[in-house]
Amino acid sequence: MIPLKQMELIRMGLRSLVVYPMRTVLTMLGVVFGVGSVIAMLALGAGAERELLEEIGRLGIQNIIINSVKPEEPDNASQRRNWISSYGITFKDHRQIVDTIPGIEKALPVHVSKKTVWRGSKRVEATLYAVTPEHLDMFQLNTSIGRNLTHLDDEKLSRVCVVRSGLLKELGIYQDPIGFPLNIDKETYYIVGVLEEDSFLGYARKALSVDAKSSEIYVPYSSSLRRHGTRSITRRSGSSEATDVELNQVVISVTDLDQVLLTARMLGSLLERNHPEKDYELVVPLEVLSQRQKTQQVFNIALVAIASISLLVGGIGIANIMLATVTERTKEIGVRRALGARRGHIIAQFLTETTTISTIGGAIGVLMGIGLVKVLTFFTGWSAAITLSSVVLSLSISMAVGIISGIYPARRAAGLDPIAALRHG
Amino acid sequence: MNAPIISLQGVHKYYGDHEPRLHVLRGIDLDVAEGEYVSITGTSGSGKSTLLNLLGCLDNTSEGAYLLAGKDVSCYSDDDLSKIRNEDIGFIFQSFNLIPQLTVFENVQVPLLYGSRSIADTTDLCYQVIEAVGLSERIEHRPTQLSGGECQRVAIARALINDPVLLLADEPTGNLDTSTGEEVLSLIENLHRQGRSVVMITHDPDVADRAQRRVDLRDGVIVEAGAS
Repeated sequence: MIPLKQMELIRMGLRSLVVYPMRTVLTMLGVVFGVGSVIAMLALGAGAERELLEEIGRLGIQNIIINSVKPEEPDNASQRRNWISSYGITFKDHRQIVDTIPGIEKALPVHVSKKTVWRGSKRVEATLYAVTPEHLDMFQLNTSIGRNLTHLDDEKLSRVCVVRSGLLKELGIYQDPIGFPLNIDKETYYIVGVLEEDSFLGYARKALSVDAKSSEIYVPYSSSLRRHGTRSITRRSGSSEATDVELNQVVISVTDLDQVLLTARMLGSLLERNHPEKDYELVVPLEVLSQRQKTQQVFNIALVAIASISLLVGGIGIANIMLATVTERTKEIGVRRALGARRGHIIAQFLTETTTISTIGGAIGVLMGIGLVKVLTFFTGWSAAITLSSVVLSLSISMAVGIISGIYPARRAAGLDPIAALRHG
Repeated sequence: MNAPIISLQGVHKYYGDHEPRLHVLRGIDLDVAEGEYVSITGTSGSGKSTLLNLLGCLDNTSEGAYLLAGKDVSCYSDDDLSKIRNEDIGFIFQSFNLIPQLTVFENVQVPLLYGSRSIADTTDLCYQVIEAVGLSERIEHRPTQLSGGECQRVAIARALINDPVLLLADEPTGNLDTSTGEEVLSLIENLHRQGRSVVMITHDPDVADRAQRRVDLRDGVIVEAGAS
């Protein structure tokens, strides 16, 4: 009974919106664009955050990665004479980490070296990753053809390798690659698996020191260590440079997520003691993630704040038009008052109108925002995610904008003296 | 005669809080009996609009009492006056005052929206009052699609919808030509014959003389009151 009357009041109140469609649409536009941009900004923000999560999450937030870093070379000749530069994490470090730091599930050693791969007369510069079998699983490096490296390969020092399909193309291998021999540094390795075509994104690539341009070849850690040692010689235009790095990387997996930061601190102090020359870097994905998320959130807030300004302008637009409408409809207000409308009824009528305008505008804005996001992601390749919460948020904000922008005009209308209003126009 | 439906007792109305105040009504005593048809005349500035506003509960008296159907409404609040206007008074205006964006049917419904009765229960009533003023064919029309006489009949239907104790007409024929004015007047007189109390404000002596009783207002006082 009561709701029907409210419905009827709303229906008749909204009649004026239908009677002047152009004005209604123009009034709505501000909110449409405001909500549209808020939706788009939130979506881009959420997309960036999701990308961040994918990128860094791929490293495993329970992991800590230690990389060997070539220290700044003092630029004088006497140091240069020693042509083998030796730096980075040592086997001793690895042993100490495993022995002394609690809560570590795995500490996987990785040795990285640049090698020249031959197939007949074709040569390709590749990066040889000497890894333990767990390494490939940890970073979801799955083979699309063949098999992964196994513990047996490691124990038997097998000369087997897992490669990227890009390398096969470069070497011109188009037939079944399984069992194909590759000559790497005077040794012959046989391909046992080809990795899925999927590489690490931005930050993850940097953190794992995976070079996007060169081809990766994964070989069993022990095989590589036994056959190639830890020295690696890079030749470039006449001069050659030799490095001796025992471990290029150690990937540490912490048992308990809560202990990651603590473990990182312990690792930090252990390495600091062993390496005063700072020839290592400690990458804590969890820490990086939370830092980047914080930055992203600040950025998101700034974006949404800017977008909200247009929403504010939209609200001012509604208030402005409604104020003009009050003057225009003074007579109608007087008539309604004479027929028994209380002040509250008049306020409700105007608030209904503004809220309807802003809510419909908000809904159109949501659609427009979604469209905008689709267009933007299509043309720029940015990542975006429209979340339900952003839609709900924008709709509630636009509703609130309607109410707030309606309050002043509505009170003005209700405050009119019915006698004066009746005599108006 | 029956008990008065309207009783004004020593009513004064002035505007402004400080002297010199604009003293518009200077002591009005007026009774209108139930079922009576009274016309109020006066030149402009005589205070008849102010009297109409008081009778229509659009304004409060400055001094004196106004009893409408036995209730002293002279000290009612704004919301209470709204309720009285809604339930007890049927307004008929010179310029019809229909709401342009609503249809005939919806215009008649407007007072129901602000009252306590449910919309669903009163749909038939709307059809009845519209039929009573002879506009059944025009239910879905907008005021702009109607003639002046038709508009005024819609307004009369609207005035009747809440079955008020008093019909208050303010120059109901002022915006109409003679023949349509005649139609509207006979419609109002018909309603009077059916037992409605009617108070009509007019400046036209011919129209005023058709009432049972004529009240002349001059400079805020009643100078002549008698059966016509």
